[in-house]
Amino acid sequence: MTVRLAIPSKGRLRDEVLERLEAANLRVELPEDDRSYRARIAGLDGVEVSFLSASEIARELGAGRVDLGVTGEDLLRETWADAETRVPILSRLGFGRADVVVAVPEIWLDVETMADLDDVAAEFRQRHGRRLTIATKYWRLTQQFFSGSHGIQVYRIVESLGATEGAPTAGSADLIVDITTTGATLRANHLKILSDGVILRSEACLAVFASERSEVDDALIREIVERLNESVSAEA
Amino acid sequence: MSALAAQVAAFLAARDAGAVDAAILQPAEPFLDMAGEDLRRRIFLTESETGETLCLRPEWTIPVCLDHIASQAGTPRRYSYCGEVFRQQRAGAVEFLQAGIEDLGETDTASADARSLADAHALVQTVLPDQSVAITLGDQAVFEEVLTALGLPRGWRRRLVRAFGSPDQLSAALEDIANPVKRGILAEEAGEQIAQSDEETIATLLRGEMESAGFSPSAGRTPEDIAHRLLEKASLASLRLPAAELRALRIFLSVKVSLERATDALYAFGRGAGITLDGAVEGFARRSDALREHGLTLAEIRYDAAFGRPLDYYTGLVFEIATADGERPLIGGGRYDRLLTLLGAADPIPGVGFSAWLDRIEAARGGAA
Repeated sequence: MTVRLAIPSKGRLRDEVLERLEAANLRVELPEDDRSYRARIAGLDGVEVSFLSASEIARELGAGRVDLGVTGEDLLRETWADAETRVPILSRLGFGRADVVVAVPEIWLDVETMADLDDVAAEFRQRHGRRLTIATKYWRLTQQFFSGSHGIQVYRIVESLGATEGAPTAGSADLIVDITTTGATLRANHLKILSDGVILRSEACLAVFASERSEVDDALIREIVERLNESVSAEA
Repeated sequence: MSALAAQVAAFLAARDAGAVDAAILQPAEPFLDMAGEDLRRRIFLTESETGETLCLRPEWTIPVCLDHIASQAGTPRRYSYCGEVFRQQRAGAVEFLQAGIEDLGETDTASADARSLADAHALVQTVLPDQSVAITLGDQAVFEEVLTALGLPRGWRRRLVRAFGSPDQLSAALEDIANPVKRGILAEEAGEQIAQSDEETIATLLRGEMESAGFSPSAGRTPEDIAHRLLEKASLASLRLPAAELRALRIFLSVKVSLERATDALYAFGRGAGITLDGAVEGFARRSDALREHGLTLAEIRYDAAFGRPLDYYTGLVFEIATADGERPLIGGGRYDRLLTLLGAADPIPGVGFSAWLDRIEAARGGAA
């Protein structure tokens, strides 16, 4: 019996996760060979740590190939329609904060709210012979927000896998849904966030694949969550 | 072919509508373009080797209309179909049989509407002879006429028409125009500046700013689009929907009567609200007369003034037929006068049609046995 825990393999997120785990008395013993993608947690037998990209973690977790994963809430919700029940969040870690937002060209002086955007989207087809387009890598979150929460039906999504904020000036989309921490990149690209255009306030989270487990594994997971939550609230 | 499908096909063959077929694999673009991105998660998408996005036929109206446009067939013309459609569902089957009739190009709207509903009703009577059914009817044209007669500005009318058929959206829209939220400071400054200018001056200003920021003034919303809407918005910002008009709209939307009494109820509503309703309500009355001539009992059809579909190509009649105790409709239908233009028809072609869910009918037959 093992609990498989996946953590981000790269960048600042990896460092912050390792720090947070260490602060929670869950130090990851990194393998000697730093190209290896497996590790364990000091003093906690039965936990197998693997290093994956943040988006892989969301996918692997929901497929049940790992038990626990640390990744962004945005990725969990984007990857799984039933994220709340399939990969419930056990601990919010307080870093990796970023917002998924709707941003339009600053020059659209007449557009401040989603209701404005609804209006613009409805008129657009008549004037331009095509639907208003949104560049994003967040298909699901965009659909839920536009169609579900705001009743905006007539728009099109164009997939964007990088440099989304440049799409409006490049002419490949009219507006974007993207993740931002400070909004600086958006401003640099002459984009503004709609006043009610925050789709999700995301942060790094520990999530679990919801399933039946042995008592030993359940206890291990509880232990990890307890230590993490204590350390998060101690810091807050 | 199941017994039900055979029975439905025989019914359709006797209804003076040419049977059409359509490929199961369809280009996805027209469906996503018409119904919106929300459809994406409810259909089965795939890709051709050349990168074209294809889908398993999710419904019949759009393929029938596209085929009509491509074949440049003369109008008026009626088409019938019976075949599989495919939808993603969390539970239950993903492949269903749908059958229906689309009536394209008939300019006598009232009579084409009535014929469509009468055909749908006759279909249900044929396949579910022993069941009592509930028919609900709505009409967006009447709603639009009420908005115009109440003297609402165009911007508000458009917003309300868009929300028509979705109770949540509609009450949110009404709330917004009855109690406009205070706008941001930036917008107020812009508002004061623009109030002094005309559309052309603003557009010129915007064009300069767009170019210096690196936006193409022709790729998407143009400086003229923005200037135009900015002025329209500024003119609406100082307005709020007067209480009397709001009350009248709420009263209108709560009208739910039998079709037998509906025309009188609409005229009575108009008198109460102090407005004159003519064209759309006259068409409504003519359609009711035509329905009676088809042998339908108007007392058994329910008119719900708030019933509609929040998609921009529906324009008038909508209806649903369900079993008396059923939650999901067995048949849905409506008028879509804007659809063929949106799909690329050179001239406007009016259209009305209905579609029957044979799986639901089958289930209702099982339940009756």
